[in-house]
Amino acid sequence: MPPTADNLPEAANRRLTGGAWSSGLSVADFASGVDMGMEPVGYVQGYAVMQWSWYMATGGFGMRSGGFGGLSGGWAGTPQRRGQYVEQWQCPHGFVSAEHRMYGANYELTWLEDSWATGWGLAIERMIDEAKELGATGIVGVVDAMRPLVGGGTNEFRASGTAVVVPDAPRLATPFSTYLSGQRLAKLIEAGFAPVSVVATLSAVRMLGYCITHYQLAGSTAGAWYGAGASGVSGVGPVDQVNRAEAAARRLARERVRAQLGADILHGATLERSEREIGEGDLSIQCTLKGTRVRRFKDFDPLPDASPVVRLG
Amino acid sequence: MTLQDEVRRAVAAVATPPTAKGTAGNPRGTTSDLTIDETLLLHSAGWEPVDLVYGISWWSIPWGVWQWATGEVQEASAAFAGAMDHAAKQLRQACDQAGGSGVLGVEVGVRVSSHHISIELTGTAVRRIDADSHHFEFVSDLSARDFVLLVRAGWWPLGVAAGASFVIAPRRSAREWASQQGQNVELPNLTQALYLARERAMERMQSSGVAMKADGIVAVKLREGRASSSVRVIQFVAIGTGVHLRTAAHRSIAPEMVVPLDEVVREFDVKSLRSGKGE
Repeated sequence: MPPTADNLPEAANRRLTGGAWSSGLSVADFASGVDMGMEPVGYVQGYAVMQWSWYMATGGFGMRSGGFGGLSGGWAGTPQRRGQYVEQWQCPHGFVSAEHRMYGANYELTWLEDSWATGWGLAIERMIDEAKELGATGIVGVVDAMRPLVGGGTNEFRASGTAVVVPDAPRLATPFSTYLSGQRLAKLIEAGFAPVSVVATLSAVRMLGYCITHYQLAGSTAGAWYGAGASGVSGVGPVDQVNRAEAAARRLARERVRAQLGADILHGATLERSEREIGEGDLSIQCTLKGTRVRRFKDFDPLPDASPVVRLG
Repeated sequence: MTLQDEVRRAVAAVATPPTAKGTAGNPRGTTSDLTIDETLLLHSAGWEPVDLVYGISWWSIPWGVWQWATGEVQEASAAFAGAMDHAAKQLRQACDQAGGSGVLGVEVGVRVSSHHISIELTGTAVRRIDADSHHFEFVSDLSARDFVLLVRAGWWPLGVAAGASFVIAPRRSAREWASQQGQNVELPNLTQALYLARERAMERMQSSGVAMKADGIVAVKLREGRASSSVRVIQFVAIGTGVHLRTAAHRSIAPEMVVPLDEVVREFDVKSLRSGKGE
């Protein structure tokens, strides 16, 4: 049975109550943390292994010349979410051949986003459960990752960090968590920001190119193919459908993270983009946005102008 | 108040709902990829981060332009310029929408493939803390530290200036090929292609700076070498920040000389123990 909030593995319970603490911090970060009054109580971890496919094993995408009639009611086998991103493109040429891509679409891969959120969320939740077990105030120096575990069909989500106790601090129902540790965390707090939690999201957009996009990505726009003049697509020009998909993936990632922030601030954001070519003219674009949610608890102290220095030696 | 007290105060803040003060005047929450050092430094100069912004553009390149010819691949160079311009416009628009006055720390991602070039610009929109209204002023790939130093010296960033050129190197004749076999000699066809690409790219970057009324371009980064799509294509990409002098003359930042007293840490060197000699 996978561990849950009330169900840590027995060995974990034994280990967490075993006396000596462990820490994933470097010596410098450990020393800095103790200076700040953060006492390490345990190196906490959370894992979740998910069955994984980047592509949904259903049909429904082979209807190029017939159109994507099912789009408004949902792609075949593709779960729909309220307000999900969907855009369609239509070929300007009319019927050319059975292979001609008369329709194209960009749409959000909600099932992939939900799978990622589930895996990442479980790993983080389990890490936090271990910290709660230790009576921790927070978790610092969080490291998280996703990687294939066994073959190509599974993905491991993992999260780890060092649980710390702040003596005489209010007890939190859920310990705070942050990617920061050591001096960077000290500076954050001195600057008036309290770490609240790590936040992350994955957005994924599938782009099924219509004929123009297909020609552009295949480099066949320069020739005198039928309709080139009418469509206004020259050899060198913006690939609008891809640009829309790229922008949508970033916008979705930012909106989703912002929804987790409330009025707080995302500090130290990292945006990573990856792309998978599914076939000629078809792409899947993923964006991962993560960072530490921080809350301002005091105004910035007026800072003096920094003095420029030249280090000698 | 000691640092330990500050930490306890911070924990107490996590236990209570956020206040409007936490929004930094931005009710939808701020996102930023700046480090805490950069945030503090910017704040000391009167600026604050507003939002993570981006611009991305793919431009197509027709089939066959990388072959059957020598000299510059005009289509690829034009696609680079078009994509850069398009991405920069998106970045500016995103900055405006976020209520920022400029974008700092812009990371420039360039991908060149056989049939398209894509440019990705990602940075943090920033604004003046005490300004009542915000209008767009600049885009820069400078870090917050460099921005603060630049402004202190009397200069102002304007925008990202960029130029690129892709050149197909001419083939060697059979005679040249035969005469160069087995020798380490210069290959003039490749050197010339590199020089041609360099001149075109630098010239375009300069023109881009002139177009934004820059006095100069700082922190220029070069990317040169073989284009991935073809063994005979040399690419040269130059990117920097266009700047102009806002004051009557350059102001010296008069840095203070410091001598660090901390010892250099000597690392254990296994090799020297084995050989009995210092390496």
